[in-house]
This record gives sequence, C-alpha cells and structure tokens, in this order.
Amino acid sequence: MKIRKMFSKVKEKLKLVKKKRISPKKTKRFKKLENEFTDKFFSTETKVEESKYYTPLIPKRYPTVEDLPRGYGEDKLVLQTRDPWWIHAYWEISIHTYERVKSELREFFHSAKKTLRVYDVTNIIFDGTNAHRYFDIEINDYANNWYIDVGGPGRSWCVDLGLKLPDNRFITLVRSNVVRTPLDGPSWITDEEWMVPEEVFARLYGLSAGLGLSSPVGKGWQEEIKKRLWQPFASGAFASMVSPVKKEIKVGRKFWLVVNTELIVYGATEPDATVYVQGRPIPLRADGTFSLRFALPDGKQVIPVKGVSADKVDEITITPIVTKETK
Amino acid sequence: MYKGYLCLVLHGHLPFVRHPECDYFLEENWLYEAITETYIPLILMMERLINDKIDFKLTMSLTPSLIYMLKDSLLQERYLRHINKLIELCHKEIERTRWQPPFQKLALMYLDRFSLAYQTFERYKRDLVSAFKSLQEKGVLEIIASCATHGYLPLMELTPPSARAQIKVGVMVYEQIFARKPKGFWLPECGYLPGHDYILKDCGIKYFFTEIHGILHGVPRPKYGVYAPVYCKSGVACFGRDWESAKQVWSSIEGYPGDYWYREFYRDIGYDLDFDYIKPYIHPDGIRINTGIKYYRITGSEDKQPYEPEKAAEKASEHAGNFMFNRERQIEYLYGFLNKKPIVVAPYDAELFGHWWFEGIMWLDYLIRKIKFDQNIFTLVTASDYLLENPRNQVITPSLSSWGWKGYNEMWLQGVNDWIYRHLHKASERMTELVKLYPNENDGLLKRALDQALRELLLAQSSDWAFIMGTGTHTSYAVRRIKEHILRFTTLYEQIKFHSIDPVWLSEIEERDNIFPQIDYRVHQ
Repeated sequence: MKIRKMFSKVKEKLKLVKKKRISPKKTKRFKKLENEFTDKFFSTETKVEESKYYTPLIPKRYPTVEDLPRGYGEDKLVLQTRDPWWIHAYWEISIHTYERVKSELREFFHSAKKTLRVYDVTNIIFDGTNAHRYFDIEINDYANNWYIDVGGPGRSWCVDLGLKLPDNRFITLVRSNVVRTPLDGPSWITDEEWMVPEEVFARLYGLSAGLGLSSPVGKGWQEEIKKRLWQPFASGAFASMVSPVKKEIKVGRKFWLVVNTELIVYGATEPDATVYVQGRPIPLRADGTFSLRFALPDGKQVIPVKGVSADKVDEITITPIVTKETK
Repeated sequence: MYKGYLCLVLHGHLPFVRHPECDYFLEENWLYEAITETYIPLILMMERLINDKIDFKLTMSLTPSLIYMLKDSLLQERYLRHINKLIELCHKEIERTRWQPPFQKLALMYLDRFSLAYQTFERYKRDLVSAFKSLQEKGVLEIIASCATHGYLPLMELTPPSARAQIKVGVMVYEQIFARKPKGFWLPECGYLPGHDYILKDCGIKYFFTEIHGILHGVPRPKYGVYAPVYCKSGVACFGRDWESAKQVWSSIEGYPGDYWYREFYRDIGYDLDFDYIKPYIHPDGIRINTGIKYYRITGSEDKQPYEPEKAAEKASEHAGNFMFNRERQIEYLYGFLNKKPIVVAPYDAELFGHWWFEGIMWLDYLIRKIKFDQNIFTLVTASDYLLENPRNQVITPSLSSWGWKGYNEMWLQGVNDWIYRHLHKASERMTELVKLYPNENDGLLKRALDQALRELLLAQSSDWAFIMGTGTHTSYAVRRIKEHILRFTTLYEQIKFHSIDPVWLSEIEERDNIFPQIDYRVHQ
C-alpha cells in the first residue's frame, strides 16, 4: 500500500501559564496567643492536618442549604469549657418567658440590663446563694453567646442569664450547667506511694515539655518554665510561629509572571502505519492522526518523524528542527 | 537488654464523604489521594518489612468513617476511575517531558507508583481494610478502634448518650470488621474529658492516648511524667505523647518534612500546566485542582528546583538515623534518671505520611530497619505489649486536653464554629428522647427511621466539620455537611414524632448516608 499523504505541522505555542500560587494556608495561629506551652507546635500540626482537606478555593460551589433555626423555642443556657481560662456560653430565651418577665416587671423591664452572672462553684453544690464569688457581664440584647474570661484554671463555674434592675436586683431567666476548667500547670497533689521529689518532677516536666536538660529545676521552676516556653527558644527555631510580628515583615511587591513553552507536533498517515518520533514509536488515533506535545526547553530540537507502512515497504521521514531561546 | 521502648502510632482518619448523587465530587478526592499516597504505600511498606523478616510493632487507628469508605463499592469504583486517569496522565507526561530528562524521570516515577497502587488495590480485591486486617493477624500491626465518626468528645460533656454512642459504635464496627475485640482506643484529636474513660472501660478497652499535658497536669502528679502510662480510676491505661519526638517531625522549621530536598506539596501540575492539556484531569467544571503529580522540591526559595528522588531518599535515611539517635539518647538518659524503662509514645496523623510529607513512609521504613539493626538501646512496642510487661502503674486522673491548636477545645470552639453546638446538642437530646419513646423497635419502617436518625446525628458530629471551619479556608463544604445532617435528622425526628415517615425519602437518604449498616439506634443512651 502506498502512503498517499503524510504531513506534519509544527506549531509552537507560547503560553502564559498562569501559575496559581498557594501559600500554606494561614491557620488561626496569629490570633492572640496565650502562655501555654503546647501552643508552639500545634499550629504546624493544624496546617498539616489541614492538608488532608485540601481543596481549591471555589466560590459558591454548592447550592445553598436551608438555614438552621436560630433557636428551638426554649429557655436554655449552656456552658462549655474552652481552656483553663475561658468558658463559652450560648443561650436562648423563649418569647413566652420574655413576655412573662415583661409583665411582671412592668416599667422596670425597659431599664433592666441583660446580664450574665458568673459564679465560682468549685467543690460545692450550688443552690443559687452559696457561690465562692461571682461577677457580672453586661451583654447586649442581640448576643446569643459569649466567651467568658474566668481566669481561673481548675475551678468550677455556673452562669445565670438574667436581668439586672437599676436597684441592683437580679432576676434570673435561666441557669446553666456547671463546667470545670482544667489546670494550667501540674497539680500540687502528690501521692505517697508514687512520691516524686520536687526537683525530679521539675526536671521531668521540663523534659516532657521539650526544654531538655536546660530546663529550670530550682525555686519557681513552674513560672520559669512558663516564661521560657512563652519566649522564643534561644535558637530562634520557633520564633516565626510564636511571634505574629515576624510574619508581617514586608516581602516586597507580589507581581509575578511565568512563561512556559510547549511544542505540539501533529500529523496523519495511514491508520495501520507505524510512526516513530525521534526513534520511538507513538500511538496513532483510529483515523491515522496523531499529536504530541512536548515541554520545550531552550536549545535546538531535531525531531525526525518517520512513517512506515504496515507492510514495511514504504517509509517517509520528515524532520522539523526547532530552536528555542529565551531572552 | 533494652533500656526503653518506642511506641509509634499512626492515626488513620478521613471524614465520611460519599456523594452518589454526583458523578464527580471534589471532596471525595481526599480519600483517593490518601489511598494512593498513604494507605497503599503503608501496606506495601509493611509487606516489604515482613518479606525481609524484620519484626516490628506498629499501632494504627482506622476510624469507622474511613473503614466504611474503604469498603464502599461506589467509592472503590470511583477510585479505580481516579487512578486510571492518573495513569493515563502519566503516559502523556512521559511524552511531554521527553526533552526534559529530570522531569521525565519523575513522570516515570509517578507512573510506577500509580501502577503499583492500582495493582495493590486489585490484589486486595479493592478492599484495603482487609489488607490492614491481615497485617494485624500477622502480629506486626495493632489496629485500635476510634469513635464512630471522629466526634470530638470533650464537647459532648452535656450529652453523654452521644459520647457513648460515638465510642460504642466505634467498638462495634471494630469487632465486626476485625473479628476481635479492640485493646486500644484512639480518642479523636486526643480529646480527653475526665470520666470518658469509664465508657471505654465498659467497652472492654485497655488503653488510650492523650496529649502531653493530659498526663503532666493530671491529679495527683505523675511520678514518671509521660514516660510511663498511668491508670485512670476506671482502670483504663492512658499513655501520654512525647514532645521531643513530636517536635522533630511536626515543627515547621526544625521538622524533617520541611527539608529542602523533600518534595514540595504546593506545586502540582494541576496548577502549573497549560489549561487545555490538563483539563481532562482536573475538576469537570474546569477548576484547577491537585492531581498528585508534583515535580519540584521544597528548594528553600521561590525558584523551585526539580525533585531528585535519590537525594530525597538519602535525606529520609539521614532523618531516620537522626530520629533514632535522638531516641537512643533520650531513652538512655531517662532510663538512668527514672530507674525504669521509659516508653516514648510518638503518635502521628497517618495522612501526614506520603501525602503531606511525601517521603514520610520511606522515612518510617528506614527508621524501622535501623531500629532493628543499628542500635540496641530501645525496641518498638505496642501499648498493649508494654502493659503486659509493666502491669503496675500509678493511678491518676488525666486532665482535659487535646492535641489540637492550643491543646484544649478552642480549635473546635471558636467564633467561626461555635454556632454548631446549639444544634448538635439539641439533636442529641432529641435522639435520646426518641430512644426513650421507642425502646423496642426491632424492624419495620420506624426502626429504619430511628437508625437513620442516629446515622445523621453521628455524621453531623464529625470533628472534621468544626476543624475545617476553624481553619477559615474553603469552609462551605463543612458548613453544608453540618446543616444537611442536622436538617435530615430534624426531618426524621418530626416524621417519627408525627407518625408520618416518608418511606421514599427515607430510602433515598439511607442510600446516601449508608455508613454503619448494622447500627441500632438504642446505642444512643
């Protein structure tokens, strides 16, 4: 069989390939840091874990789902522990309760201030009057949740949402559950059977916290350790993670351009022929056409394209030569 | 005579993402990528070690949501479609990079890896859970149980039936799948709330892991810090994580994965190559995504250089040696200091290895071999073997803690995600109410509706949704998932209460959210 036609075209495509630059996602690491030793490397873990859920930013991909209700028509105040120093409260008050209180208080109602009363109820059965102490937080009418800085690790808390009247009376609308904040340091309680000398424990604590043998063991070791962990390490290893300021160093203007070059070689021959490009056989489509695409580096490329008929009798070679330089 | 132990723990988890209603669903790629980059390479690594007659001990958790995805036939089909596409792309890449040998070499490497992934997947008849199961049966791997959908337990303080359901369903799934009782339990995000150990105790669990300060801030003071487990008052053992070994891997600056010779995660041909060329391999709407083919190394500057696998392998070996050396010194010191063989517990997110840290599994392979041949200071151990050898331990109450950002609950309880608890708690209360209302449903439509209500509740409770919202980027999917499951739950609740169950709709959501086929709603009490 005679090869009737064979052609090859060389087309160079210069493409501006837009490169999306994805910087490691900023986690919430730059939020206010608290002096808590574990902080230092958690943000990296968060970043790594985040990579599991790595998807590109695509606006509005999903049909909007119906909103959840704002509330469930009940009187409820829920506390949850956030950390040794903070608790979170969310609440809702039913219209029914509001109306009742409104009619009871009459003219006082409008001068009453919506208030959270936070009770320290550590180690007691709270009856509303026996708290160790309490403090009030005045809140706005629209809030339905609040972060409360209790500043007391290792203690138990209960909160009333109520109305505070000008004469200082406090009308409780709803009372919360009781939560306990965890300790922010080692316990002072030791047990006899597993007694551990202070010095030894201090060293162990420092080792466990990653301070190695340079961790303080003498008087005030706990404070020392907190301070040390709070400061960037001597090596500066954690500096950029601990100090939000460092990240804000100007890195110059962000404009950029990337240019890549690819070469497309395409052609056609008898569907049952064999085609070699630079000596290697390439696949043909069913209609005998082919196209190849190459990343094109700088320099000269000699690209012999050889077609051989199915019976190996006919052979044609066409050799495009492409030179690319970048200025 | 060893002076101590190293306990390596890999936590394998992905949230349940399965969308039969769409032909292509972007977030399902989380699973496909983890299969190619993490789960299959891990299985192959353990097979190599067994073939080379290297005895080793690894601990791994596989969450029920991951297990059911790996066993789901639709997702298995789709994984094959995914990997075949990648293989096709590799062939094109090998051609395209003909005049760029450093890149062509990498295209060939990816072709090898993807082809091997394909073969391994078929070799296990598409069921990778069975691969892990057989590794457990060979005695090298201890698989531990975890919560049903990776619910974050410390924020279920108010709804104990949900905490119990998360744990009990996790244990039941484990028993069904692995035909034995789990010894250990992975608390999602290492989130421990004092008292939850009693639920573990009820389920026959012997041990769990906590973050460092879970032990260090426990009451009374732990005599051996995190270098020996403690017993909770329930009798369940608790192992604390070691900071030094965590830091060596995690730290963004000192950590191994940041080495300049390692592969750069953020440069992917899905973003780098010409649109028309790459279009068939990205999102069908033409949105560029990661393909998994990445040609560059971290380099240390913006001018990224081609990845060199030999150099990276050298680095992985070097880092494995360094990790081992540091553990030797640490364990020697602790042994002298404590007068006791310390245990160093090093838990990691499994998907860190291979996915984020491309060379991570190679590092692990080197590490295990070096531990066997290059030192005699310490040995690999599982927590259960350690407890058999060292049954006497101090009793303390560990502290509330997690391994998340800042070490407590804030990652899952902050301005962007705190709104979910109002709904999660309400749904949980309603579930408890339904169980009390209908304690004896054993079959029929009502039973199906009750079971599905619990599935929807559990799916809404995945810590992943709050986590993704907490990271503040591409949160819309997470928000959608919470809302959808809560809405489906609420609809079921109302239909059950008003005796108006819609059987057509019920079948539809049973097919969509088909996790836990054998669940019984009464576990939520």
